[in-house]
Amino acid sequence: MINELVFSGFGGQGVLTAGLIFSEMALKEGKEVSWMPAYGPTMRGGKANSVVKFGDEALGSPNMEEIDVLVAMNQPSMEYAEFMKKEGKVFLNSDMIPDDTDIRNDVEVIRIPCVSLAQQIKNLKGANLVMVGAVIKKCAFFEKNFAIETLKDYFKEKGKGNYNEANEAAFLAGFDAIK
Amino acid sequence: MAVARKIPKIMEEPTAFCAGCGHGILNRLIAEVLEEKGQEKNHILILGVGCNCNMNFTWGGDKLQCAHGRATSVARGAKTGRPDTLIISYQGDGDAYVIGLSDTINTAYVNTNVTTFAVNNTNYAMTGGQMSWTTIPGQHTTTSASGRDCESTGNPIKVPEIIAQNFDVAYVARGSLHSAKEINKTKKYVRNAIEAQLNGEGFSLVEVLAQCPTNWKVSTVDANEWLKDKVVPIYPLGEFKKREGRDDK
Amino acid sequence: MKEMWKGNHAIAEGALRGGLQFYSGYPITPQTEVMEFLSFRMPELGRHFVQAENEIAAINMVFGASATGLRSMTGSSGPGISLKQEGISYLSYNDLPAVIVNVQRWGAALGTLDSSQTDYLRDTRGGGHGDYRIIVWAPNSIQETVDLLYEAFEKAEEYRNPVEIYSEAALGQMMEPCEMPEFKERGYDLEWSWDGTDRDHERVDMDQKPIHHTAKFKKIIENEQRWESINTEDAEYVFVALGLPSRVARDAVKRLRSDGEKVGLIRPIAIWPYPKKAFEELPEGIRGFLSIETTDMGQHVEDVALAVKKGFKTNIPVYVHATNQKMPKVKEVIEVYRQLKAGNLKEAF
Repeated sequence: MINELVFSGFGGQGVLTAGLIFSEMALKEGKEVSWMPAYGPTMRGGKANSVVKFGDEALGSPNMEEIDVLVAMNQPSMEYAEFMKKEGKVFLNSDMIPDDTDIRNDVEVIRIPCVSLAQQIKNLKGANLVMVGAVIKKCAFFEKNFAIETLKDYFKEKGKGNYNEANEAAFLAGFDAIK
Repeated sequence: MAVARKIPKIMEEPTAFCAGCGHGILNRLIAEVLEEKGQEKNHILILGVGCNCNMNFTWGGDKLQCAHGRATSVARGAKTGRPDTLIISYQGDGDAYVIGLSDTINTAYVNTNVTTFAVNNTNYAMTGGQMSWTTIPGQHTTTSASGRDCESTGNPIKVPEIIAQNFDVAYVARGSLHSAKEINKTKKYVRNAIEAQLNGEGFSLVEVLAQCPTNWKVSTVDANEWLKDKVVPIYPLGEFKKREGRDDK
Repeated sequence: MKEMWKGNHAIAEGALRGGLQFYSGYPITPQTEVMEFLSFRMPELGRHFVQAENEIAAINMVFGASATGLRSMTGSSGPGISLKQEGISYLSYNDLPAVIVNVQRWGAALGTLDSSQTDYLRDTRGGGHGDYRIIVWAPNSIQETVDLLYEAFEKAEEYRNPVEIYSEAALGQMMEPCEMPEFKERGYDLEWSWDGTDRDHERVDMDQKPIHHTAKFKKIIENEQRWESINTEDAEYVFVALGLPSRVARDAVKRLRSDGEKVGLIRPIAIWPYPKKAFEELPEGIRGFLSIETTDMGQHVEDVALAVKKGFKTNIPVYVHATNQKMPKVKEVIEVYRQLKAGNLKEAF
């Protein structure tokens, strides 16, 4: 079984990073994984996304095919909903995507006010990590503490370990937002 | 008393140039300097495309034929591979100054420790005498049949001056082959250029004004006069960038 | 230990592990990251990196460095590789090894930055003037990219001919876990290389060149065909795809097989020499071939048709699904197959 996750939003909303953190988790668990960023013309106008696939079997297409989990950080990202599997889950940034947005009714919609949550813990840049926390809780791809440790390692490797307390808080804000 | 000098071993075969062509003289000068410096077995001649392609069959030292205009770029790569070997590009004016102008200028710009000998005979000789950027005003060639019109084709290009005035290189000079005296001076320039490289001083360029009786359509004797009277006045002789701390003249 | 590697960085590191000593290149999207990576990594390792003034100078520096015995590489994307073609022709003619990386983008002229395979015919036919070829390898994963680069210098030296790594924009941008091999170096001087002593460069006379080169390329054709066959033993229809589209094709084969369809896949890894042997070992009873490629008019399909012509006495139809600058999707390939089977697709050959 292969999981297909898409993180989508404006450039700067951390959707590439969110995808990379999931890739690291999958890699650490010994799974097959691929990470494909949007590149070239699809990035024009500030749009960005990354497709992460992971599973126990060899991966085929690394491209967006049939999405299990869509994380939509902005309104234009909702256009990818058409590529979702039935019963797939869309995590939408309810601070930027209005409640009356038309969404197909055969997918599960999870509304997370990730920007407000990040603001509350004074880590506005951590909105993407709020979403990562929410996805981990809801989908249970990886165990909570393992996810936090991987996330911290990821930033530490990048020389950004100083922010790890704030980043963990962001993750937990998302994690706890799922009841 | 005249002394018969030994032909350098590097010139193992008779050159294949036309009668009266300046290339043969320059071949000899370079070969002599290489022997004097003990570099017969420690140099690679990077050959441009033009009449000098003949040297593929006559030059008795290491040589590498490359694409038209690219000899200095090839030389940059070769110098990286063999930093202790003399790397010399031998090119014509069309090769070094027209199609290869970018390569020549850029090699000077980065001041790679290689040497370029550019033979300027004011035309594309190998292909039968077409106009080059070095062709003198009014000169008749097969592509400037009424004489070179500088209004529409530009003025004779002076790459040694461009390089000497703009780039931080080791040595730049221009010599001519129209008389014994000038040939001797040119040999000094050749020696300076080779020494500069041996000392790791940087890029050196010697332009050599050479006879081309075949395409100038003059006799081999008249070609010397033609060179002296028509070409030299346009292309000043001498050293444009002397080696630091040296003043041989 | 496996780590996540980005394709373009993996190209650079894979080449370094394989003994790369000299690189010269010019910035061009989507290949620039290869040279950016090498620009700091090579000095770190005591090797030679040159940012050239243009693509032509870059390939000619490689010519000089290769002749003097360095493991040398240049890289670019379609437009830059066009500029390098004269140099590649000179490399092959002069029996010089070198590695060339093409991280392809779509289109003629400036084209776009989309991932594609539109340089297929140029790159597999030598590319420059004269009757020569270069070995061209088309990886479909980051690990394979590294493994091929790791081997490329030795292969280039074995045949004294350039080897190209035929990558794609998307393959350069994506990340996958990758195991980097240990550093290796040649450790000895190539005896034919230019060292200034005028030693024997082991070249043949001009009049022997056609015979010599024909023999060289025939030997490569005989020994260097590479491919992967999946589910072809009993296949009725065979997909043929390389690079990233081959991964889409593989998924499509898997799904169709689970629906009971007898489909298989040939994935050429070497695209020159083309793996005709893969077609010769196919079973009787194949009813059609489908090339899946990111070109406009179909380029790889021409090689499929030639291989089918050589491998089979009967005239088996060859189809193409060319998706321009867009990566095909698995569902789309399955639909194309169903249309093909229903007789709704026009054959290309």
